[in-house]
Amino acid sequence: MNEIIVEVKDLWHWYLRGTPLETVAVQGVGLELRSGDLAAIMGHTGSGKSTVVQHLNGLLRPHRGSVRVFGQDLGDRRTDARALRRMVGLVFQLPEQQLFDPTVGDDIAFGPRQLRCPPEEVRRRVRTAMERVGLGFDAYKDRYTFGLSGGEMRRVALAGVLALEPRLLVLDEPTAGLDPRGRAQLLGSIRALHAEAGMTVVIVSHDMDVVAELARTVWVLAGGRTVMHGGVREIFARVDELRELRLGIPQVSELAHELRRAGHQVRTDVLTANELAEALWTNSTSRAG
Amino acid sequence: MDEFDFARGVTVGQYVPGTSILHRLDPRAKLGGFVIVLAAVITTSSYLGNAVALLAVVGLVLLSGIPLGYVLSGVRPILPILVVFTLFNFLFLGNYDPTGSRVLWRQGLGLGPYEFAFTVTENSLKQTLQGVVRIIALILLTSTLTLTTNITSLAKGIESLLAPFRRIKVPGHEIAMVFAIAYRFVPTVADELERLMKAQASRGADFGRPGRFQFAKRARQLVPITVPVFVGAFRRAERLIMAMESRCYVGGAGRTPISLPRLVARDWLSLAAAAAFTLAVWNVPWPL
Repeated sequence: MNEIIVEVKDLWHWYLRGTPLETVAVQGVGLELRSGDLAAIMGHTGSGKSTVVQHLNGLLRPHRGSVRVFGQDLGDRRTDARALRRMVGLVFQLPEQQLFDPTVGDDIAFGPRQLRCPPEEVRRRVRTAMERVGLGFDAYKDRYTFGLSGGEMRRVALAGVLALEPRLLVLDEPTAGLDPRGRAQLLGSIRALHAEAGMTVVIVSHDMDVVAELARTVWVLAGGRTVMHGGVREIFARVDELRELRLGIPQVSELAHELRRAGHQVRTDVLTANELAEALWTNSTSRAG
Repeated sequence: MDEFDFARGVTVGQYVPGTSILHRLDPRAKLGGFVIVLAAVITTSSYLGNAVALLAVVGLVLLSGIPLGYVLSGVRPILPILVVFTLFNFLFLGNYDPTGSRVLWRQGLGLGPYEFAFTVTENSLKQTLQGVVRIIALILLTSTLTLTTNITSLAKGIESLLAPFRRIKVPGHEIAMVFAIAYRFVPTVADELERLMKAQASRGADFGRPGRFQFAKRARQLVPITVPVFVGAFRRAERLIMAMESRCYVGGAGRTPISLPRLVARDWLSLAAAAAFTLAVWNVPWPL
């Protein structure tokens, strides 16, 4: 078993605490991530998932309960959140909105320069980060940032976080608002970051298809609490509970369930189009034989 | 307090629902009363008069049922400006005192070929202290008005108060709309600012380290924030234009409100109370 790198226990967080507009966002979330995980935190809008991930790199501190990341207790005021942010890269929702430098290379170099890396090191990090998200260093480094397409801008923003060379990468709604091609490219990059660069990756999403395609373990949040967790197949097998939480299941699984309801003997625990095709194929060949 | 939790400090543009008398007043009466009390706050020129005005404003806050601490927290963001402003007034205002009041303290200061002097006179000290009290009272008063009035009724109030000036081509509806839109987006922009600070901090930016008073360092750190905030503001403005145009918005010409409530007794009474208060502050011969 790999070592535990994130441990969240009974986490509570309030927004606008101490004002008349105070609201509770997270009430008793528990979470555990091991190094090498490819996990998803899923939940409906307002389930508290974005609030929880902001605790993972110390942007927020727990109001109650405990958060330990790489052995550091974030409940302790003395814990240096800035040092932690080099190990935990957090990519916000619609991260293309955080770009500010006119040229792509300089924008990605912002992080390493803040860390006061020497120029060669900055260059190396920018090059590596850009290649990891599928943007050629020479082709893109001098491009005008605000002239890129939405998908490209998002990959630039992701590279900006990767340039810090984090060990744990957290992505909040990584594919929101992307066209199918941009989405496929981004998911490919994320998969490669996990498989080839050896990063622990957590995605936050309410898109069941993304979760099914990418994640291995899943944590489901609802109303600021953890309500389910387990392997991705295990979770998506609990169809009725997911429907109750208004989350639903991946489209492909939905289709398999429909087919079964229509009288076809199809496996319903399929998560991707390929798996469904395979299931249908086995089904038809077994009937023929 | 959390490192980035500064939406909490923004009380301008927030509305706290409630059932107090201030919440229930007609926006026109509230605006009228606000202007009348404002006149008392900014024109009274005695120590006691200022103190009374401040107390009255605090009384209004208490009347609204909104915690005084929350309303006061709206002063925090402008504290650095207030301190600098007060310090300069304190040290230099006496140099230009036209009333010739008694000099309390004077310190000459030679800097090479230049000669400076710090002077505090009786009158300049008074103006300095009054400045602080007035600004705090102003913020409390404005916050109370907006914290107890939602933006729609505030805009309607302004529009209907400006209606008589339509004859001299004052675009009342448009003014109210511009004001309402600007106001509506204060908390939105504050939220966005917070989100961007967090996003940039997530990729290595260092905020919040230099003290409140290290202005140059703070300004430099803000570049990665200000650029995206402006980009976002323009994007939002464009979307808003599209939304308004696609609904055939043409401004105020020929529009009539669905409901135009009459001012009731409590509205007239509160206007009268505000007027009485201001007249009293003006006419009492304050001994100090």
